[in-house]
This record gives sequence, structure tokens and C-alpha cells, in this order.
Amino acid sequence: MTKKTAQRNELAVQHYEDRPIGSLQEPDLAAMTKEERDARRDTVRRLSDLFKKAEKGDEKAVPEIRKILQESPDLAWRFMDFATLAERRFIENMTKDKDLASRETMEFQLAAMREEVAGAHPSPLERLLAERIVLTWLQIQLFEGLYASSMFKSMTLAQGSYYQKRLDHAHRRHLSAIRTLAQIRKLGRAVQINIAEKQINTSG
Amino acid sequence: MSPWERRKRGGLYYTRSRKVNGRVVREYVGAGVLGELAARMDAEDRQRREEEAAAWREERERLEELADLVDEFCREVETITRTALLADGFRRHNRGEWRKSRDQKNSTEK
Repeated sequence: MTKKTAQRNELAVQHYEDRPIGSLQEPDLAAMTKEERDARRDTVRRLSDLFKKAEKGDEKAVPEIRKILQESPDLAWRFMDFATLAERRFIENMTKDKDLASRETMEFQLAAMREEVAGAHPSPLERLLAERIVLTWLQIQLFEGLYASSMFKSMTLAQGSYYQKRLDHAHRRHLSAIRTLAQIRKLGRAVQINIAEKQINTSG
Repeated sequence: MSPWERRKRGGLYYTRSRKVNGRVVREYVGAGVLGELAARMDAEDRQRREEEAAAWREERERLEELADLVDEFCREVETITRTALLADGFRRHNRGEWRKSRDQKNSTEK
């Protein structure tokens, strides 16, 4: 095990309550290499295949899912890194190069939003879902802004319908993200899945 | 086809072609200075349209790249959520609401 991996695993077993909710930690850029990205995609693909099998009644799929989740203690954090980088790309695109004040304001606003959506003592899953809500909200802001500003310029029919299509898609993604978090909250304390720590608690 | 048409008398005549109801219609603009002027205006217009199209292509690529990032993240988080719920003993009822599976309920009640 490399020193870097050991450090990340150590971070992964750290309790969520010990970490700030709003402002995310600096993303691990090393985790964003092509190999790491492919590894993350591969894990998700395996999980997705197993989920489909489980839905068709394959009883062997669930233990395999548990095994994958247990073997990937830092899975949630790898996603957080991905989300943070995506968020930064959005902010860069929505602000001018030298407008550091706007960037700072946006980052602060997003951090506050993340904190509010995640709530007190969120589970790793809730954090991930809160992150998704913030990111999809950001996407809506981008497309709404572009659509509104294009109305004052000469916008072609193709451009207008492109913005409209993207905006509709972003709205659907955002609503779906909210719905999933609400579902998880509704299930309440029953959901103790810890996708960032060494074990999965299955207490009901 | 060149927009400059040679006339029988030897002079060049500037023309514009456009489609009307699926048929190409040629509009005769003029010869000499008038033709030159129209040709230059058309060339500028064409260049502006090409530049606008290139800028829009670039903008679209940039936006698609951003949207792809969000889509990928959403898909992955959805997979993680679903599989984590399955691993924790939940089952999706009629592909909708998540409920604790009967086996899990029994084991926790005991």
C-alpha cells in the first residue's frame, strides 16, 4: 500500500462529524488521474450491474454489493472530490477570470447551501446527496443565466431551443436529487449505510 | 458556381444565389463598382456568420462538457444510493418506494 493510499484510507475512516460540512476539503487531485477515474467508473459500473441483477431476484448480488462497498472505504470521498472539481469548473465558467470576489462569494454561498441541505450530523449518503442537490442547482443557475442573457442578444432558434432543453434537463436532475434525499430522510435512522467507513451497519 | 457571371459583351456581373421553395434562384445585383460593393458586403456577412457559428460551436462544447460532468456525478450517486440501500436490506417496491425487506424486518424484530 502506498503512503498516499494509506493517507486516504486513514481519511476515509475518520468520522464525518469531525469534518466541516459546508466547505469541502481540498480535492485530492491525484484521485482525479485517468486511472483513478477509470477505477471509480469501473466500481460504479460493477455496482450498477449488480443492482440490476438484484432487482431481477439474483440473491448472490446483494452480498457482492456489500463486499464492494466494504472494499472501497473511501468511495464517498472520491465522489466528493469529483463534485468539488465539477463545482469549480462551473464557478470558473460563470465568473470572469480576474473576478476573485465573485468566485469567493459563490463558493461561500454554495458552502452555506451545502451545510443547510445536509443538515446536522449528516450520514455520508446524505452528504453525497446534498452535494448533488447543490451541483444540480448550480447547473440550473448557469443555464438560466445564459438563457436570460441571450434574450437580449440575437439568439437563433437552435440556440434558444438548446438552452431550453438543457434547462429542462437540469431541472429534472435537480428535482430527482431532492426527491432521493427526501426518500432517504423518510427512511430515517433505519439507513445507517456508511459508504465512507470500514463497515456497513445494517441496523434497523 | 462563381457569383460573377461573364456577360456576352465581356463584362462581369455579380449575382446572388438563394433557395426559394427548394429551387435555386439567381438574383442579378450589378456590374462594376456596384457589383464589387455587393460582393464585399456578402463576403463580410459570410465571414461574420462563420465566426458566429464557430463561437456557438465552442460555447456548446464547453457547456456540454460541464453538463456531462453533472450527469456523470448524478448517475454515479444514484447508483451508490440504490446499492447502499440494497446492501442495508431495503428493497424497491414496484420500482418506486424503498421499503425494508421482510427478511430484514424479521431479523431486526428478533
